[in-house]
Amino acid sequence: MPSEFLIGLIFLPLLGACLAVLPWRWSIRLGVFGGLASLPALLAALTLAVIRDGAWYYTLGGWTAPLGIRLFVDPLALLMLWMVAIIGGVAAAHAWHDFRPGTPAGARFWPLWLLLTAAMNALFLSADLFNLYVCLELVTLAAIPLIAMAGTATAIRAAMRYLLLALLASLVYLLGVALLYNATGTLDLYLMTDGLAASGGPATSLAFALIAAGLLLKGAVFPLHVWLPNAHASAPGPVSAVLSALVVKTAIYLIYRIWLWTLPAEDPMQGAVELFAVLGAAALIYGGILALLQERLKLVIAYSTVAQLGYLLLVLPLASVTAWQAASYQLLSHGLAKAAMFLAAANILHAVGSDRLADLERLDQRTPLSLFALALAGVSIMGLPPSGGFLAKWLLLEAAWREGRWLLLAALVLGSLLAAAYVFRILAAGLRREDPTEAEDAEGTSPIGRRQAAYALLLAVLALVAGFGAAPILDIVDAGIPAGWSAP
Amino acid sequence: MIALAMDAIIAIGLVWLALRTVRGANVFSAIIMFIVFGLIMSLAWARLHAPDLALAEAAIGAGITGALLLVTWRRLQVLEGSVPQVGAETRSLWLTLPTGLAAALLIAGLGWVALSLPAEPATAGELAWQRLPEMGVSNPVTGVLLGFRAYDTLLEMGVLLAAWLGAQVVASEHRPGALPGPAHEEVPLVGALLSLVVPISLLVAVYLLQAGGSAPGGAFQGGAVLAAGGVLLCLTGRLEAADQASLIERVVLILGLAVFSGVGLVMLPLGEPMLAMPGVWAIYLIETALLLSIALTLVLLFAAAPGLRRRL
Repeated sequence: MPSEFLIGLIFLPLLGACLAVLPWRWSIRLGVFGGLASLPALLAALTLAVIRDGAWYYTLGGWTAPLGIRLFVDPLALLMLWMVAIIGGVAAAHAWHDFRPGTPAGARFWPLWLLLTAAMNALFLSADLFNLYVCLELVTLAAIPLIAMAGTATAIRAAMRYLLLALLASLVYLLGVALLYNATGTLDLYLMTDGLAASGGPATSLAFALIAAGLLLKGAVFPLHVWLPNAHASAPGPVSAVLSALVVKTAIYLIYRIWLWTLPAEDPMQGAVELFAVLGAAALIYGGILALLQERLKLVIAYSTVAQLGYLLLVLPLASVTAWQAASYQLLSHGLAKAAMFLAAANILHAVGSDRLADLERLDQRTPLSLFALALAGVSIMGLPPSGGFLAKWLLLEAAWREGRWLLLAALVLGSLLAAAYVFRILAAGLRREDPTEAEDAEGTSPIGRRQAAYALLLAVLALVAGFGAAPILDIVDAGIPAGWSAP
Repeated sequence: MIALAMDAIIAIGLVWLALRTVRGANVFSAIIMFIVFGLIMSLAWARLHAPDLALAEAAIGAGITGALLLVTWRRLQVLEGSVPQVGAETRSLWLTLPTGLAAALLIAGLGWVALSLPAEPATAGELAWQRLPEMGVSNPVTGVLLGFRAYDTLLEMGVLLAAWLGAQVVASEHRPGALPGPAHEEVPLVGALLSLVVPISLLVAVYLLQAGGSAPGGAFQGGAVLAAGGVLLCLTGRLEAADQASLIERVVLILGLAVFSGVGLVMLPLGEPMLAMPGVWAIYLIETALLLSIALTLVLLFAAAPGLRRRL
């Protein structure tokens, strides 16, 4: 019964969060295992169902839209759900050591983590604009305390700033949703299209402008990224991984959904994709330069997220099968690689006691596994073959070339060069040797260190494998292409 | 004519209060203005024939939010040993001018498109009116919150749980100091007042819950009123902060989300869709659980504590 799998993806983590609030060690463990370990199995079944029957809707409560709320699962939603299950799962395994059930930190951590997982799954499945607002709120309000769990003054300040800006973004988005409801009489993402075609006007244009502003702020798209670097860099390692790999992508995902599915092809607001592309190109270059100037490893990685999100917006005006594949691939490979980098950075921070690039000499001796994970993930971020990142960037170049978008092409090349520069700068810092004596291997000799490094390495290898294991994923992704993009 | 005059007074009053809130001489007067703003706003909702919103605005917007702001102000005072002032740096032209311009632009845009909107839009709300009888409740707001769009309400309970968890994280990292005990502890009238007001808050909460089926009311308003009783118990020193939430408190905190999800899931094996309500009793059961969770969350947020215990 595929519909039960759909429900399970949302409600198992949600009920897991309830269990994890209870004070016993077993209840937290049960909540975490039931809510996270079950996801890949549910998703596998769901994926098979989607391959067999195609995308489908599920009506909650039996109240058909526009009265009630529908869930919708298609290949794009599946891709995002898989990312939540895999990246979230590995990051959770990494977090298990620092936030053990039974410790006060663990008791506070796991309910929030499970709520965040449930909220992201709910968001990727929702087909209702107001319900998406609730999901966005839940994602934000579960993510922010997780940043504050780092406990430093910087982290709490960054969390507070994120909270205020994210609330502003939510309100702006909600205002847009209210206008759209008034103009079309429905909140359903897919029923709204007809109403929009009939009642387009200044009201709907303003509504989409507000929604875009809210989502760009939530998605930390240049120049609205100001909250991201400190928030992502000061959070605990596994939280940084999930924030950069998944949480900011929720907003980008919604931009895709609304602009490529909901908005009619002839709507004047389709012109906004050009603005998105300009912002994406600017983010690519600005984020790259800022990443190059940072003195702390986690800040370099955080600014790299600002830059890499640029690719996801750059693709919007290209509208072709190749561009669609590039976007899906960038979502996937950036998620895997960035999460690997943040987990590796957390290991290095733990072993060295600092993540200042100046303190990171001889990492090849002190944290060889994490440095290797960082390098492998860096290959994908730079876009070197045979990684997933290479495939994404290659497809993107091809799409831009075919459309004759030379400026975008130039931005792409410059962005990748900058990415290479900041990744090599990290590696150079890690391989420096100022003192001829041998350093001690801090992680290979301890079982915990080895395990934590293995999680980072696993995600980095997955990002690499995505490059040559691409064919089946691309097949599924192609089946979910938005209507306007399939024309050659 | 009188109606128009009233609307004008409310509209002008709202703008004036908003201005006073933003431009308040100090934080305290800004908070007071904000609370009055909430009360006048609830009048505006009442004038717009939205009594549920009016109730929610008064109970949550003005009442609980006001209490939260005031207790934060008190804590800041204890922390800094003085009344926090709105500093000169928050009044810098660089911040004020763009913010003001952006807000003005937004209001102008909204006003402009408001003129182009149809007066009576054909929305899903119309459909909700027609199919309300199938729900077994006659208050359309309850019908939407617990029936047609029950899933939204369920996730909102998740948001509330996240808010408590978040407050717990921040409070554990930077524990706010205990507030000085109330000065009126020995005054016999306090006990008499409490024995009157707290049971009434419980009574009103239960009434609002029960009335929610057919008249304005429901779990959110009822929960806010019940929370007011709890806030009073904290303020008079009858309850004090505990280091940990007790088992009962934890169960009550997740009760809303768990009961709601549970009732929603129960119908799945029977072949019904997720969140199909088995009957009106299920709506009241869920609302009761929601009310308890909402009330306790709000009181704990007010106390800025993981849990509460009786003061001995």
